[in-house]
Amino acid sequence: MLAELIQVLIAAATAGSMYAMVAVGVTLIYSATGIINFAQGEFVMLSGMTMVSLYGQQHWPLALAIAVALAVVVLYGAVLMAITTRFGHGASLISVLIITIGTSIATSGIAARVWGTDTHRFEPFSGDTPLWLLGASVTPQALWIMGVVCISIVLVEWFMRQTLLGRAMRACASDRQAAMLMGIPVRNTVLLSFILAGLLGGIGGIVATPLTTIDYNGGMLLAIKGFSAAMLGGMGNVTGAVLGALLIALLEAASVSYGSSALKELSTFTIIILVLLLLPHGLLGGRAEIGLQHEDHTAV
Amino acid sequence: MKLFGIRFTPFALCLAAAVASVGGTARAADPIKIGAPFIFSGPGAFTGESSKMALDMLAEETNAAGGIGGRSIQFVYYDTEGKPDVAVRVINRLVKSDQVHAVLGPIASWEVAAVKQVLETSGTPTLLLASARAFVDPPSKCIFKLPTDDKIVVARLYEYLRAAALLRVAVVSGQDGYGDGGQRELQAQAKANGLEIVFDEKFSMEDTDLAPLLNKIKRTNAQVVVNWSSSRAPIILTNAYRQVGLTLPLVHGPGALSEAVLKGTAANGEGMLSAGPKFEAAEELPVTDPQKAPLLRFREAYKKKNNKDANQFGGGAYDAFQILKAALLKSGTDPAKLCAAIAETRNYVGVGGVYNYSDSDHAGLTKEAVVIYRVDGGKWKLAR
Repeated sequence: MLAELIQVLIAAATAGSMYAMVAVGVTLIYSATGIINFAQGEFVMLSGMTMVSLYGQQHWPLALAIAVALAVVVLYGAVLMAITTRFGHGASLISVLIITIGTSIATSGIAARVWGTDTHRFEPFSGDTPLWLLGASVTPQALWIMGVVCISIVLVEWFMRQTLLGRAMRACASDRQAAMLMGIPVRNTVLLSFILAGLLGGIGGIVATPLTTIDYNGGMLLAIKGFSAAMLGGMGNVTGAVLGALLIALLEAASVSYGSSALKELSTFTIIILVLLLLPHGLLGGRAEIGLQHEDHTAV
Repeated sequence: MKLFGIRFTPFALCLAAAVASVGGTARAADPIKIGAPFIFSGPGAFTGESSKMALDMLAEETNAAGGIGGRSIQFVYYDTEGKPDVAVRVINRLVKSDQVHAVLGPIASWEVAAVKQVLETSGTPTLLLASARAFVDPPSKCIFKLPTDDKIVVARLYEYLRAAALLRVAVVSGQDGYGDGGQRELQAQAKANGLEIVFDEKFSMEDTDLAPLLNKIKRTNAQVVVNWSSSRAPIILTNAYRQVGLTLPLVHGPGALSEAVLKGTAANGEGMLSAGPKFEAAEELPVTDPQKAPLLRFREAYKKKNNKDANQFGGGAYDAFQILKAALLKSGTDPAKLCAAIAETRNYVGVGGVYNYSDSDHAGLTKEAVVIYRVDGGKWKLAR
């Protein structure tokens, strides 16, 4: 019984860490631009695939492969920003949202050409042999995921709260016009938010691929999970995004363990819908936080 | 007038004779047209390409040897794109405007589901290259099928499990047509084989985290785990299986018999089992196996012609044509007679198995066409 509970918690923490990486990325871009980025999962897919090619197949040194994978996602983040803010300039938020969906589909189409439609994976950093904890098993790669994600998110929080650049980003998020008048280069903070979101997704892809495997169209589902987590926690709130991600993963793991895995998505999304009906701003999205401040634009 | 008649009559006669002779010879050597609605684009395109390569090879061979009963063979290829609606359009064109004498295909079960009625109404003799048994069970007059199906694969698998004294079975299956079909057969045949299913659950094919599901199996008293899923699911499941520390024997349905699954599971895949047609095991089969010779012959001929390794799909098209050819030699192209001739096929030893059709059995194979595989040294090898 205890072992079962621990097993559920481990599964939830592992999957939740992955969702958190995507959710925080979604929230960062949303804060800076008001854009809901449905291409967020593509960062994970691209870095995972790059690692598969360089580290898994070409046997490059791990550090070098990671560096290239992160460079790829940073570049992709910059391209994504150019597409959404340049092409989307003056377009309504709903059009920009559709642009991100289109970009996501195009990216997975290109990935299918480059890496084929097979499912890929590379060897985990510390093998597949599970460790045992009070009768529950945990794979070493899950510990890698939890650890790396934890550090990354703490770093993002620290960056946003303690550094000048981070404060500039938050200033832009809360009032773009005022930030501009104060001499903050808004364009650069927008670019920075895309790069940060890309790095988070990229790191997620690097640590998760040995465990979850990756294929060309794995990005979209992750983006939806990440978006749901960000909404559940309160859009625009980093802590909320992490909380939402862990909660979704816990719901999933519990519904599989105590119910049926055929009902995994059904039960999870039912609860998300209920929460959002009762708390439209999410769990932590109070009035001061952004919530869905742009909804009026799309209504006009 | 007369002048006209004198001048033109011979010419007209000549013309008439020419027309008559052209028409006459054309009728005598009218090619036998065979429709081949395959998947040539999208992710399943390789199935159509390898089937076409096998058929092109056979057409060349047959036509060089004087065709069938003096008539040459002509394949009419169309791309179904792996989509049911396109398949319907294509089949309609084949039976209505091309008026083919027979159809080989389609390849995908979901395409067959959409086109079966058109084929039934037109009465065109058809050899399906899709595996689902439901299409020929109950049999409809002119529709036969080639590939091995869940019914005989499960029968052979259960025979193996019983012999290995693995009697308590945990079943996990993908939540799609493929998983459903396998799961149904696994349930249906368990009792008669003295096996007990102690766990039976489905998972979403989108799911990349199967650890919670597999952890539940740990709490059952199962002796073996059977997974019935296709595409990437066997890879994800096998890796998760090792990661949660399950040590029970793991058996996959035939959907796992691919190079991609071996690559995706690497060391985690060692020792896992699967059941399926003999195609992958051609070299390893004992010489007493009747299929060994035709299998090797087909693979060799295919490789020589196309400079590429053959796969099961090419093998299915090859068998379908051989069966059709034998029936055509016996009965000609009259649809009703041709169907009866196909139903009389006995002991055709082919790539996919030994085919015996009858009026009540349009699937043709028995569980002897299926073998058990085990991964050994990163390759699918015959188990025992």
